[in-house]
Amino acid sequence: MSQKMEHPRVLLRERAHQIFTTAKTVAGKAEAEIMLVSRVDEYLRFGNNELAQSQYSTSRNLSVRIASEKKQGRVTTGTLDKASIERTVEKALRQARESPEDPDYLPMPGSQKYRSVDRYSEKTVEAPAELKAGHIGSAIDLAKKNHLLASGVLGTSVEHVMMLNTSGLEASYRGSGGYFSLTMDADNGNQTGYALSTFSDIGELDPNSVSQTALERAKLNKNQADIAPGKFDVVVDPYAWSEMLIFFAVSASTGYSPDLGMRQYKEGRSYLSGRLGEKILGDNISIDDDVYHPNQAGPPFDGEGCQKSKVSLVENGVFRNVVSSRISQHRYGVAPTGHELPLPNPLGELPTNLVIRGKGATKTSEELIGELDKGLLITRFWYVRETEPQTKTVTGMTRDGTFLVENGEIKRPVKNLRFNQSLLELFNKIDAVSEPVRNFSEAQQFRILQPGILARDFNFTSVSPF
Amino acid sequence: MISTKDLGEELAKISFDLAKRDNASYAELRLVNTRSEAVTVVNENPASEEASTIGVGIRVLYKDLGWGFADTDELEHDSIRETTKKALALARGASKLGIKVTRASEPAHVDKWATPVKKDPFRVPTETKYEVLQETTKRMKENDVVARRGQMTFDFIEKYFANSEGSKIFQTHSYAGVSAIVAAKGPTGVQRRSVQQNSGGGYELVDEMDLPAQALEITKDVLALTHAPTIGEGKSDIILSGDQVALQVHESCGHPIELDRVLGYEANFAGRSFLQPDQLGKLQYGSEHVNIVMDATLDHGNGLGTFGYDDEGVKAQRKYAVKNGKFVGYLMSRETAPRVGESRSNGCMRAEYYKLPIIRMTNVSLEPGDWDYDEMIEDTRDGYLMVTNYGWSIDQKRYNFQFNTEKGYRIKNGSIGEMVRGPTYAGITPEFWNSCDAIANKKSWVLWGTPNCGKGQPGQTMITGHGASPSRFRNIRVFGAS
Repeated sequence: MSQKMEHPRVLLRERAHQIFTTAKTVAGKAEAEIMLVSRVDEYLRFGNNELAQSQYSTSRNLSVRIASEKKQGRVTTGTLDKASIERTVEKALRQARESPEDPDYLPMPGSQKYRSVDRYSEKTVEAPAELKAGHIGSAIDLAKKNHLLASGVLGTSVEHVMMLNTSGLEASYRGSGGYFSLTMDADNGNQTGYALSTFSDIGELDPNSVSQTALERAKLNKNQADIAPGKFDVVVDPYAWSEMLIFFAVSASTGYSPDLGMRQYKEGRSYLSGRLGEKILGDNISIDDDVYHPNQAGPPFDGEGCQKSKVSLVENGVFRNVVSSRISQHRYGVAPTGHELPLPNPLGELPTNLVIRGKGATKTSEELIGELDKGLLITRFWYVRETEPQTKTVTGMTRDGTFLVENGEIKRPVKNLRFNQSLLELFNKIDAVSEPVRNFSEAQQFRILQPGILARDFNFTSVSPF
Repeated sequence: MISTKDLGEELAKISFDLAKRDNASYAELRLVNTRSEAVTVVNENPASEEASTIGVGIRVLYKDLGWGFADTDELEHDSIRETTKKALALARGASKLGIKVTRASEPAHVDKWATPVKKDPFRVPTETKYEVLQETTKRMKENDVVARRGQMTFDFIEKYFANSEGSKIFQTHSYAGVSAIVAAKGPTGVQRRSVQQNSGGGYELVDEMDLPAQALEITKDVLALTHAPTIGEGKSDIILSGDQVALQVHESCGHPIELDRVLGYEANFAGRSFLQPDQLGKLQYGSEHVNIVMDATLDHGNGLGTFGYDDEGVKAQRKYAVKNGKFVGYLMSRETAPRVGESRSNGCMRAEYYKLPIIRMTNVSLEPGDWDYDEMIEDTRDGYLMVTNYGWSIDQKRYNFQFNTEKGYRIKNGSIGEMVRGPTYAGITPEFWNSCDAIANKKSWVLWGTPNCGKGQPGQTMITGHGASPSRFRNIRVFGAS
């Protein structure tokens, strides 16, 4: 089985236009916007050396926004026959009628020009389940040979998006992607090794490298030594913090809502409100929001169909910009950057494609370890949550392989540690970085290109019994 | 228009005929028709969204050796046949790398079940909902307040389940969620206060929660927190509010008793568990005061884990996970129950129609104790009261945890004293629950809802229920969040 042309692009475009014609008719004089998303996902999940949970999923989702007399309503449906579409638009009209006036209402944007992005891989789309099962079979064989258990998932996704509105906007996007996540373990999880690889084109995936990395870490991670908590210099593997860096752009203090948007900044909701121009990170660290980076993912337009711009958020440690939108342009007179969420959106703008990079030449993970005199190698962080918003202090655990490094060499595994660490402080103490990789997290769909780092004084506060 | 139940019966017959012809040893189908609404106000900005989805998930077992799952939102007969074929193809492939599946038996059920609802939220006009939320955020408007948010959500779900063993079950589930959050900035940085409840039922939850009244309280709190001291690091007795105990139960008991984790099937993401089968009936998980039940029946309450049947057709049950402090039971599926010598699953398989069902919490609840809450405070010489969660984290085996709360108070000589900001406590799960020496009685017991429990690959979100009342723990490590 493959995901090949389940929803051909041309058919989706025709279908979107048919739906839009129906929507316009029912909407009458009201403004209407539709977003049609079609997805095909295939996941082969395995555990205990068994291919335990294989799944194939197809979905279509139509979201209709109606605006009339400064009032807005949004209704989504997965049922796309004509009567259902008509009912959906009628519901959106009713929602709009029963809503209060939106003080930020703006007429829908007209036709836009988009810079194209190429992130649709025929190879990924056509990859049969047998190919993925073969990669998994090899990982399981390797685990068995080494008396370990392999668990994980190899999944691929194909997404097509079409957006149209009554002001003449038409936007489309298609993309593919996937990931191979693997744990090898023994002794009821007391000996584990983890590896992850993400891809847009499945041809980029080197399954043997993933398997070997998980195997090597699992073999090393045996009989972990006790360790006292405290501050340690660290090397963080680039895939280790897929669940951590989202806290640069999301704040728990306002209910896990988006941050680094102009509206949040001006209203004082952002943790960085009032700090534009200040040096907040080390001068060797820059953060962009750049959907056009060749390793990034997702459409080049925002939730109302406006083109996204590349935005330099932090340049050489200095907080330079926040992202914005038409609403911020209207409210504050700033240039929109195309970072609106689907409207109506009371939360504010969100940078969706972070690229974190260091100054100068990057190093390999081995070179970063080689430069660590004494400290810890972290291969995976786990269950990270914000504890203090202003300093962006987060807590979490290490898992699946934490190793003591001395004189540039891995000496022995240690027990898992809990940390309480300010991200702003940490990114002021980075000595070297590796090339950024694509993150992946089951817990959130936030696209970050993140480097591995060599950093000083990472604050570990307690130790687990294993 | 054909009903969800009748359509489900029609589609199940098509799917099962094909599955049987292609040598599936078992097949099940879920047709799920969902309607939901979310209404939100942030500061002065309104947003509302309605959503409706309908779709089918089909799970098949091929020659008792491999599972396959496929879903579709296209409900024509051809599409159901195609989806069944996809599930079968995946099951055949999985059987080559599978081992013999043994499943606990379950009677064939032909039944219907519905969540009790007092006030249908979809008959309440959206403008009425906005009025409540606008009044809520209006009452939070004060100098130094930087964010004001009110939200309500409603779900109505029709679910038809059938399997090749003869079960035909039609259920309707209704859920409501209500929350308010206020954040303020002052000398101590940004502070947050919130109230939230999620439960089975309808708009009656909005009436019960009375958000505008609570808005005044939490706004007063958050402004005080911007000037409140933090606490020093050390050991202290602590009393946790009921909602915080509920989350503690979720993270440190609910997850480690999920038998799929224990057996290693979640090793790559959600993790494993410290509660191993050889400890069943032996490990003193908590003190003698600690009794934790897994209860999906309506007798327990109208919670997010209350239903008639789970997503593999097993009838809702009540069982103990911890009895008088001893670890005695797991959350199970039909496939995992025999692995710990059980002859029947206790009905914990749950998922959206487009996800493969996995073991999830039902209502995992701490039973009330016999302490009057006020007497518990009066009985505490020196300690902290900690109220409502801010952040939570626990290791993958569910040993090492750290929770920080929104606000706290010093307790001195049996009286509640000075307010403190961001009080945090941390510990190791069995040590923590063994330090529990007082649990408040039924008067203070509430069945709380957790609407966002993450597990599985690809990631799944599930709703779970947790009854709890304020409880006291002795000699716990505490410190301030910052």
